[in-house]
Parts: sequence; C-alpha cells; structure tokens
Amino acid sequence: MGTIDFRAAADENSIVDLSSQVHQLPCCIRFDGPVEVSHYFKPKSSDVEIDGVKTEEAHFRGRKLQGATISLPSGYSGFVLRQASNLNANGKRKASMPTEDNQCWEVKAKFNNLTYWNHDSLPSKDDTFFRSFHWFSIAEALHKPVKVEDLVAVSHGGKNKI
Amino acid sequence: MESECLTPEWASQPCLMGIDEAGRGPVLGPMVYGCMYCPISYQSSLASLHFADSKTLKEEKREELYESLKLDKSLGWAVDVIDPRELSAKMLAKVLDMGVLLTEAYLDTVGDPDKYRIKLSERFPSIKFVVSKKADSLFPIVSGASIVAKVTRDRALKEWLVEETGEDINRNFGSGYPGDPETKAWLVQHKHSVFGFPSLVRFSWGTCTTHLKGEVEVAWEADENEESGNGSSSKRQAKLSSFGFKTCEKRSEEIESSGKGRCKFLQARKIQQLTQF
Repeated sequence: MGTIDFRAAADENSIVDLSSQVHQLPCCIRFDGPVEVSHYFKPKSSDVEIDGVKTEEAHFRGRKLQGATISLPSGYSGFVLRQASNLNANGKRKASMPTEDNQCWEVKAKFNNLTYWNHDSLPSKDDTFFRSFHWFSIAEALHKPVKVEDLVAVSHGGKNKI
Repeated sequence: MESECLTPEWASQPCLMGIDEAGRGPVLGPMVYGCMYCPISYQSSLASLHFADSKTLKEEKREELYESLKLDKSLGWAVDVIDPRELSAKMLAKVLDMGVLLTEAYLDTVGDPDKYRIKLSERFPSIKFVVSKKADSLFPIVSGASIVAKVTRDRALKEWLVEETGEDINRNFGSGYPGDPETKAWLVQHKHSVFGFPSLVRFSWGTCTTHLKGEVEVAWEADENEESGNGSSSKRQAKLSSFGFKTCEKRSEEIESSGKGRCKFLQARKIQQLTQF
C-alpha cells in the first residue's frame, strides 16, 4: 500500500509551478537527472495555427519538433511527485519508513498545462495525445452521481435497448 | 545581408550562368548556393577577372573579389541559403523569374554529371547545361559563383546568433570544417551529454554522430517507424520500472502506455490503468 502526500500542494509557496515548462518529446532519453533545459530547449511560437491549435517550434538533438500546449481541464491539476524521504523535519529517521510495498510519495511541483511535441507532423486534434484528454469528460460522465430521474428515464424508455 | 542584385539592363540579351555551393563539407552552419551570370558577349572578359578556384584563394582575397564583382555592372549574382538536397533548380528559377534570358548554365556535380544534366534539361528545356566535376576551376563563371557563395557563408557564420544561453557557450567555432582545429576544440567543449550540441551544428553529419557516441542515448519513435516499417514503437520506450515505478506486470518487456487489451476508445488514445507504482 502506498501513499501520496498532497498537503504541500495547498501551500503556494512550498511547491514550484511548472506550467508551460512540462514537455513530452517523441523520443526516449536514457537519462534521469537535472539538466539545464532552459539554456538549450527554446520553444518558439510559430505563426501556424490549424483548427485552433497553435503550433510551437523547437529543436532537440538536431531534430525539428512541432508542438502544442494543452491546458488541463478545470477541476484537474498536474503534479510532479517524488519519493518521500526517510527523514523527518529534525533529520531523524521516520517511524514508518517507505518500504518496497509501502512507497510514500510527496508533491514537489504542480502544473496546469502540458506541451507535447511531434517529430514529423504538425500537432492536430487527431493526435493520440490530444485525444487522450477526451477521457476527462467521459470519466466525468461515467462517474458522476446518477440522479433518480435518469434511472426512471432509462427503465421506461430503454427496456429493450440495454 | 543582400541576397541578389537588381535586374540588370542587359537581361534580355542571351546570358550564361554558373552555380556553385559553399559549405557542403563543414559540420556546422548554413549551406549557401551562389550563382553568377552575365551576357554571353561578356564571357571572354571573365578570365581576366582572376576568380580561379575559390578554395585556393585566401579569405581576404575572396572578400576583395566579392566586393569588386558586385560593382561590375556586367555581372549579376544571387545567393540562397537552402537545403542541400534541393536542386540548384531553385537558383535557376530565381534568376529566370527576374527576367534574365538564360541560355547556358554551368554547374559542378557530386554524382553522375550526365544524369544531372539530363534532369536539369528536362526541367529547363530552353537552357543549355554544362555539368562537370571541378566546374569551379574549369569555368570562370562558376568560380565567380563559388566566391559569391563562400563569402556569403563565411559572413553568415560570423554573424550567426547562437540561441543557446549559458556561461560556457561561446562563438569561437572557427571555419566549421571538421578538420579545423578550432572547430574540433569548440565541438569538444560544447558537447552536452543530453542536448548534444547547440543547434548551429549539423547533427546528421558523420562528424557529429561520432562525437555523440558515449553520450546519453536518445531513441526516436520516428526512426523506429522507418526501420521496422510498422507502427510499433513499443520496443525501446523506457521501462517505467527504471524510473522507480513498480509495475504489476511480471514480464520484463518494456512498458509504455498503449491501451493494450482495453476497449477501442482507450486503445486509440493509448490510455491504460496504472494501479500500482
């Protein structure tokens, strides 16, 4: 059983806002660690706008990338998590330590939009990434509480359809 | 930077043109195509202008010749910074559009001269083409074009704005040729394990890929689609487990979000449930 500690998210000052700084690239970088992204990765907005999607341009390792920024829908937030440390505020070991089965995560940063990048094509509403955001409204429709009127409507009108 | 002169008054006389490029060899900076053209009646005077092969000329001499060539009213010229895979056709089209009556054109070639000549003749039937290796040393009109291209490229490189910021980034990259010691030193100094090099560098050039061996590996979905021929890009995505995620999958195959086994709606959007991490 694991836990995610969201308490820091409530305090504006204790976590970083990474909006407009989260990028999904069409490649796998076999590296994990800090890097001077803002010195090398310089997205620029291009003048191209298709179907209301504003295209941005950037380069990475000599490849030209074209991307678009999508906002998370209202009611949703993005979080960057990190495994919680073993030490509490006094620098002493915590009583309940994270173990293999008991992983503890905490919030280090938040973001309210994402930029995804294509290699060979302009970003468009048909992109998998863009379409994955449809899930939010479907999930909401699926999981919102059902009203009595809805049940009545279904049982009367839809007997033979279900 | 100027890119060409205005339409000359002799444009309606039969003219010849030479085309050459600068910067095919270097590992960084733009590639520039240059052309020079003049009335056929002026052709015999070209030899006296001492253009020779631009590669044998020193930079100062080239600059000098470039400036004097621009002042010569019987010579026209144009440059273009273009993708080397495009034909010189773009250069031809540019000059023709200006209303110059081109009847002859001289070019250098890397591949088969005849094949190239035939291709160009089909595209521009009214022009007589002479395609030959080492055209820049055989024909003064091409040597002139070579000068125009080389000086433009050298100046472009001098003025090139390196976008990347950061204290350690400087502009002492030399000529850009892989053999140039200054360029070599700059490449070594500016190598970054994740980003590779500043975008001034031609990543597809052999020199560059050699330098980046041993740095962080980057695998592109686009390259795999080309190699494997099918749409599967699942093989080389990073294992989620290598980022500290535990997965409930017992298999050690690479995991990426694919929506495998889910309904069409989720599969099309590559959405799947992550119940354990």
